[in-house]
Amino acid sequence: MKKDKWYLLMILPAIAFICFFIFYPLFKGGLMAFQNYSLFNLKDIRFIGLENIKAILFSKAVSFRLILLNTVKWLVLSLVFQFLLGFTLALLLRKPFKGRSVYCGFVFYPWALCGFAIGLIWSWLFNGQLGVINDLLMKVGLIKENIGWLSNPKIAMYSVVIANVWYGIPYFGIMLLAALQSVPNELYESATIDGSNKIQQLFYVTIPYIKPTIVSTVLLRSMWIVNFPDLIYGMTNGGPVNSTHILGTMMINKVYKEFDYGQGSAYGVIIMGLLLIYAVIYLRITRSSEGDM
Amino acid sequence: MSKRKVKRTAGTIVRVLILAAFLLSAILPLFWIFITSFKGETELYAYPLVYWPKHPTFAAYKRLFSYSNFGQYFLNSLTVTLSSSAVAMVLALMGGFALSRFKRKKMKGIIELLMYFTQTIPSFMIMLPLFMFFSRLKMVDNLPVLATIYVATVVAFCTLMSKSFFDRIPEDLEEAGKIDGCNLAQSIIHVVLPLTLPGIAAIFCFAFVNIWNELFIAVMMINKATKYTVPVALNSFISKAGVSWDLMSAGIVVSLLPTMVVFGVGQKYIVAGLTDGGVKG
Repeated sequence: MKKDKWYLLMILPAIAFICFFIFYPLFKGGLMAFQNYSLFNLKDIRFIGLENIKAILFSKAVSFRLILLNTVKWLVLSLVFQFLLGFTLALLLRKPFKGRSVYCGFVFYPWALCGFAIGLIWSWLFNGQLGVINDLLMKVGLIKENIGWLSNPKIAMYSVVIANVWYGIPYFGIMLLAALQSVPNELYESATIDGSNKIQQLFYVTIPYIKPTIVSTVLLRSMWIVNFPDLIYGMTNGGPVNSTHILGTMMINKVYKEFDYGQGSAYGVIIMGLLLIYAVIYLRITRSSEGDM
Repeated sequence: MSKRKVKRTAGTIVRVLILAAFLLSAILPLFWIFITSFKGETELYAYPLVYWPKHPTFAAYKRLFSYSNFGQYFLNSLTVTLSSSAVAMVLALMGGFALSRFKRKKMKGIIELLMYFTQTIPSFMIMLPLFMFFSRLKMVDNLPVLATIYVATVVAFCTLMSKSFFDRIPEDLEEAGKIDGCNLAQSIIHVVLPLTLPGIAAIFCFAFVNIWNELFIAVMMINKATKYTVPVALNSFISKAGVSWDLMSAGIVVSLLPTMVVFGVGQKYIVAGLTDGGVKG
């Protein structure tokens, strides 16, 4: 108890930074969401209630339902494939082999890349005429004519998701690999003696043991994916015909193109509100299923 | 017996094949950008595609560093990233240690929750008020200001990472140091810190990678071309006419180098550190 005073002093700088540069602006940004805050009318800024949020929800230019649907698609598809592929990779890496750490260095490297640069890289790979992906598919004979990966509104969302999956596999690979290595070998040995096969072991030994890691990584990742418009910004910036616009990219355009900080912040409020609801439901579901076990 | 052996070899082959597929899909996109950066303009836009440039050229890199002044941007990014990562690391080490040793459970829980909460905040939400604030003070286009903001954006997660590292070090160790006549500060420096070196490396790498890659806040806070950071410079290569891919690919390759070095050196620690930070959610 006596030492707590010193501990508080030690954590104070970090808290001060967070308060001044995160929470205070967050509060101001929250206010902006209810003001007609635009760089064009700085002289006449006042509170306008829910006008910004209404303008977003009932926008005629871009339907909010579409944006919300896109955001859900972006989140769910990215998350599911990042997780499944990352988990597969981790399972394959569990047993040590020669050169494993070098292998990990290469296969995990996309984690350290800039999201915006990844968007650019993949927009070059997916390029309609000069893209290497179309060219290779053509050479192998899988397609007869170029696919408009980023120009066809029906396909574009899947293309940006592919890029995001590529970026996210290492995160789950890293996290789950470490968790897998913490599973005691005795558990597998006794499961083998009980006559269970590899797949049964996966579902009855491995997954229950690393469940806390799965629960927390999936939640954190969900939040990061929703708050990660960088990649789409680099690839399509929402196009074609809004087919890849998510809440985050709408916010970018409101701010960078229209300088409408009020509506930009209103998007932020909506994003945070939805994430909070998501987190509460998610934690309730994962907690209650824990009770069953 | 032999049947089982066949089965096992088949399993190994499948495993190797899948691992190879993962490796190829991780590397090939970067390799293609690398190849692209050495193509001359004719080969770049040639059809059918040129897979292996017959006339590899450094022209794009030369243009990058002369005409578009990329060296300056690189230096800007490096200064900002190194200084803010270092500050964030020190703050996170102190904060994480304190958070790990706190006796009052309630306060500890609230602080931790607030730090996790920061992860839900879109950066656009905070950067607009920050921009207005600093433009009133005439402090936009100011790299130290940018670096200060960056400290705040990474310090919460770094503190959580550092807390879980310190959680693993029993408090008895500090007590032991005390008996040897050290005070709290000395026992931290001589006993606890050496044990947490991997954690320190991980926190630094995490901060470095995140700050080096940040685009949106930098675009907002930096308008003057001489103050550009690397991502802002890449962003400026996109014009209304499209992207000039020779310059862009060269820029991307150069921009990857620092995180490649940091990840290569610190990979082991990052892996350990990230997992520690995440596992105990």
